[in-house]
Amino acid sequence: MSNHKINVTVNGEVEVVEVPANMTLLRMLREKLALTGTKNGCSAGECGACTVILNGEPVNSCMVLAVECDGASVMTIEGLSKDGQLHALQQAVIDQGAVQCGFCTPGVLMSAYALLQRNAKPTDEEIREALVGNLCRCTGYNRIVEAVKQAADQPETVAA
Amino acid sequence: MANKEAQREKIPNPIGVSVPRIDAREKVTGAAIYADDIQYGPGLLYARIKRSPHPHALIKSIDCSKAKALPGVKAVVTGDDFPGYIGLYLQDRYIFCRDRVRYVGDPVAGVAAISEEIAEQAVELINVEYEVLEPVLNPEFGAGPDAAIIHPKLGEYVVANFIFPEPGSNISNHFRIRKGDVEGAWKDCAAIVEKRYQIPHVQHVPIEPHIAVAKVDENGKVTLWGSSQSPFAQRNLIASALGKSQSDVEVIAPFVGGGFGSKAGVSMESLAVAIATRVKGRPVKLRLTREEEFYTAFVRQGLIAYFKMGCDKDGRLLAMENRFYWDGGAYTEYSVNITRAAGYSSSGPYDVPNVKADSYCVYTNHPVTGPMRGFGMPEMHSGLEQCIDDLAHEIGIDPVQFRLLNCVRTGDTIVTGMKMHPTGLSECIEKVAKAIQWGEKAPPSAPNKRRGKGIAIMWKAPAMPPNAGSSAWVEMNEDGTATVGVGGQELGQGTFTVMAQMAAGALGIPYEDVRVARPVDTDYSPYEWQTVASRLTWSMGNAVVNAAKDARRQILEMVAQSWDENPDDLDIVNGVVISYKSEEAVPLKNLVIYGLPKPNDQGWIGGPVVGRGKFMPTYVTGLDPQTGQGPRAVVHYTTGAEAVELEVDIETGKVEVIRGVAAFDVGKAINPDMVKAQVEGGFVQGLSTAFFESLILKDGVLQNPSFVDYRIATSADAPKDIQAIIVEVAQDDGPYGARGVGEHPLVPTIPAIGNAIYDAIGVRVGAPPFSAEKVYLAMVDAGIIA
Amino acid sequence: MINVHAGLPEFEYVKPGTMAEASRFLVDHVGEARLFTGGTDTFVRMRDGFWKEKYLVDVKHLQGMRTIRFDPEKGLTLGAAVNMNEVIASAEVNAHYPLLAEAAQTVASYQLRNRATIAGNICNASPAGDTLGACLVYNASLYVHGVDGLRDELLRTFFCGPGKTVLHVGDIVTELNFPIPPQGARGKYIKLGRNVISDLAIVGITVLGFPDADVPSGFRYRIALASVAPTPLVVEAAGGLLEEKAASAETIEAAAQLVMEACSPIDDVRGSARYRKLMVRNLTRRALTQVASDLAASGEAH
Ligand SMILES: Cc1cc2nc3c(=O)[nH]c(=O)nc-3n(C[C@H](O)[C@H](O)[C@H](O)COP(=O)(O)OP(=O)(O)OC[C@H]3O[C@@H](n4cnc5c(N)ncnc54)[C@H](O)[C@@H]3O)c2cc1C
Ligand code: FES
Ligand code: FES
Repeated sequence: MSNHKINVTVNGEVEVVEVPANMTLLRMLREKLALTGTKNGCSAGECGACTVILNGEPVNSCMVLAVECDGASVMTIEGLSKDGQLHALQQAVIDQGAVQCGFCTPGVLMSAYALLQRNAKPTDEEIREALVGNLCRCTGYNRIVEAVKQAADQPETVAA
Repeated sequence: MANKEAQREKIPNPIGVSVPRIDAREKVTGAAIYADDIQYGPGLLYARIKRSPHPHALIKSIDCSKAKALPGVKAVVTGDDFPGYIGLYLQDRYIFCRDRVRYVGDPVAGVAAISEEIAEQAVELINVEYEVLEPVLNPEFGAGPDAAIIHPKLGEYVVANFIFPEPGSNISNHFRIRKGDVEGAWKDCAAIVEKRYQIPHVQHVPIEPHIAVAKVDENGKVTLWGSSQSPFAQRNLIASALGKSQSDVEVIAPFVGGGFGSKAGVSMESLAVAIATRVKGRPVKLRLTREEEFYTAFVRQGLIAYFKMGCDKDGRLLAMENRFYWDGGAYTEYSVNITRAAGYSSSGPYDVPNVKADSYCVYTNHPVTGPMRGFGMPEMHSGLEQCIDDLAHEIGIDPVQFRLLNCVRTGDTIVTGMKMHPTGLSECIEKVAKAIQWGEKAPPSAPNKRRGKGIAIMWKAPAMPPNAGSSAWVEMNEDGTATVGVGGQELGQGTFTVMAQMAAGALGIPYEDVRVARPVDTDYSPYEWQTVASRLTWSMGNAVVNAAKDARRQILEMVAQSWDENPDDLDIVNGVVISYKSEEAVPLKNLVIYGLPKPNDQGWIGGPVVGRGKFMPTYVTGLDPQTGQGPRAVVHYTTGAEAVELEVDIETGKVEVIRGVAAFDVGKAINPDMVKAQVEGGFVQGLSTAFFESLILKDGVLQNPSFVDYRIATSADAPKDIQAIIVEVAQDDGPYGARGVGEHPLVPTIPAIGNAIYDAIGVRVGAPPFSAEKVYLAMVDAGIIA
Repeated sequence: MINVHAGLPEFEYVKPGTMAEASRFLVDHVGEARLFTGGTDTFVRMRDGFWKEKYLVDVKHLQGMRTIRFDPEKGLTLGAAVNMNEVIASAEVNAHYPLLAEAAQTVASYQLRNRATIAGNICNASPAGDTLGACLVYNASLYVHGVDGLRDELLRTFFCGPGKTVLHVGDIVTELNFPIPPQGARGKYIKLGRNVISDLAIVGITVLGFPDADVPSGFRYRIALASVAPTPLVVEAAGGLLEEKAASAETIEAAAQLVMEACSPIDDVRGSARYRKLMVRNLTRRALTQVASDLAASGEAH
């Protein structure tokens, strides 16, 4: 199996990475770049724990090959807070008690971030629909939905 | 006694305050470290497991020669390498199968290689010859004389003294209740209900699959990193299975991405350790795929339950006769105690004078069962609470009234003969009934909808050995902050936060000034039996409070000596030691490490402050094996009630829960908002098992081993309106009166929903999951729709 | 299934420079190479071990694969690599082919739809594919690049069985073409899954209705079903009935009955044949009622 050398911008940093063809974006982030905030819950596109933002849109990083990301820009949970300052969504998740074990949380935050980028004032239904691919076994979801609403009410959220 | 003291003492800040979680910031930034996130370095090897394709077979031969020859393979092990048995209450498992496989997925051989791909290829190259045997696929049949015997050596297994296997059969535990005169009571009953319920296997489905990384060094010292609810139990069981000293096994347990019981005891961790013994010095990582998780991680046992219950004409429960056949699967080392718990709680939270119960744990060739949130209670209550509804209808009493009439109250003699401690169950019932507007019927939202309400109540005790212990330390730091050491684990339930609150409260420092040492590491952390049974807030909480008080005592004595005062006149408030007498004050900063100088440079007093504390219940007694009677079966019961309002679409059978309310008596909510979060999450997990979840087993083979067909509730399935109500009737030996509530919220959800469906459509759907199909076809079969 | 790979098994990633090169490569590596667009079926099957290709051929970047084009005369052209969210967000799709967006919206999750494509849904040929019904009732055709040149394939005759299509080795679908839909058309897709949304279809009912002065009732209907036969099923008979007689509770019931009788579902873990048949009837009734009422409403509006 051959390796491919790719250029990929991750959280604003240009990275040059050697990846085997069968390496998913998820594995590249975790194993090549030690960005372990992105989680692996199924490797099958079902759980959403691996959700990252690829060229502005959320994807299941277990369903994307790393080689496909040559020239792309990726944002992970590690890129959400800036200089130790939490993003409004992160603060909202804390305020609403929307995190328990935390394993789904990075993926949830990526999906929610992308939602607020495309829809600054989502309805309850729109939030639930946007998060349907992020399984959470702990919280029962309602606090996550409330957290997204809280963040959406803050003007700086979308600008961030 | 702790209770008197607890009553006298006023509840300090921040007990009862909804402070934010101590681990929240790490978790929302992706900084929180889980076992798979640790960088194990370039020496890391990857393990994969050769597993049985058969539910029941004898191993004739295993040929590993090709696998061993594959470049990149570092070790191949089989059962012959590890002859020791392992198991929590009944040692019925080998680490790798030796003579026989008992379920599809049973580990037969293990490989360590330099990559996961090579390890997989090696597994493919291992050739195993089997002689296929007749599988046992039904626990009721399995308990009988005609079933093939799955564990011929059952009589030789090491077993806890409160578990009663029946060698020569597939029954690995038989728990009996004989209370009063059931036979004589039936004739006094004005109404009797008899029902059979079958509850399928479900799985915990933590979003983080099981993972273990093991390393064994040249001297035989074992280090195990894992996603673990039970670092100390793992240390203990792995050490004894491998013939090692407990002190030569170190278990390091970082954050757990959801456990729900599946990561309790020891399961796949022993595979990683066993393989690691053959590649000295190199860490070996075994991470279950989601599919392997479904096939081979613990599942909740299936249940076939027979209920018979009767009441007099006024609705007073007179008798119950219950028989439970638990589908324990291939190994029941842990679940024997689940079936015991269900036995000693078999009356449900009711005051019943005459009870006969038989709870059989039965081996089958199904997946291995183990503890899951609720520990037998959700399964048992699913049928029991629907029968109670039937009986209420039969005698013509409203189901809420019926429950208020019969529910267990403070001072009742419960099913095991134990006297019930103070409990707020009736208050829970009243509160949920009010919140759901019981008795009022709103019109359905559309012509094709039918609306209904249902209620169910529950009880559950921590199920554990009588002497499960906790310990803790509280260590002071230079800046006056404190670090709490515990061996219990943060699974998401919030235990680190609650421990920090208790330490802060007992010590007299702000919550923000407390840290909890982690990862839990058996070499450094104090002993904790396991993070299970909703016992940490109560048991570990007591240990932490004791440790904090010990630290506080050391500090006050030091300062008192320095100020030449009586420690009783001193207090620690907000991190400052003050004297009520002399009105002196000194911040904890520095003095808790360096001590205090004596006057005129005459030396020092005090020194680094480390408080220690422990807790172990000492009053739980054994039960008579024939009758299940004894003075104190358990430490306590947490009780509660849930009610739902829902709509059934009579064109599809789809059920939508419009709102749910839940009330639990937690004794004292240390962090009310986290209690509510726990209740909401448990309710939705319960709802998920009510509507979607079941392991579909065909001839012993799992038909839905992935999220494609094992569906769980999503954000769109969760009812928007879930209300959690806290009831607080103090627990006499709980820290600040607290008792646990981690598991309880999912216990009554299935029957509450089942009862509401019945209310809506007039049909009992019976066994969960209440899929749209099952509900629809039940309506067709009942002639309600065409 | 117990032997699913932990990650993706080993393969080579191939990114051809032209369509011709891609077709050639596929032909030169029969049985060893597979095309992918979103990969959401491909990666899953590779990891499961059902597919064992040595080469995965990426064609998303080739010309035209990512474009959405609408021509008021010819209709809609979707590049084969256009993902479902792009379809859902497209103003042209929403204006002229809303049923396509409606169906795509029911697939999996938002993040999966950023990868999943309609072309992949079609070429994967699962009878449960959610977008196939909408494509069928809009009379879609596929533009295929094969080793022998370019051709059109009508979707109606495209499916041969579960996972089987008329495509040959080396064929690459480059575009999906949708003719201008009938004037005044109204559509509905009803998907019944286990979860409220996001699940695969236990049954899926697609209905498109439109005015047609040439038939006695004044309206024609096209009905397609998911998950109730080895291929997506188009039921002509029911449409015929509603061409003859105006839509009423009775005629809709009769049509729904005909649709139910036309399907031949199987039992599987998602649902029994018995339940599926009954749901086909009930949900066809529901969809037809909705579409008939929308048609009536829009008729009044004009
Ligand atoms: C978690 C999850 C949930 C899902 N839920 C749904 C759902 O709700 N509804 C549903 O319908 N589907 C669902 N799917 C299946 C899948 O997402 C869809 O079928 C999707 O449309 C496939 O598109 P793709 O581009 O990803 O296909 P790919 O995997 O890229 O391709 C699929 C097949 O089509 C072939 N192919 C792809 N492009 C071309 C082309 N241009 N020419 C010729 N052949 C081609 C490939 O060789 C392969 O055989 C789900 C999948 C996952 C992983
Ligand atoms: S790990 Fe990617 S969706 Fe589960
Ligand atoms: S917080 Fe545990 S899975 Fe969501």
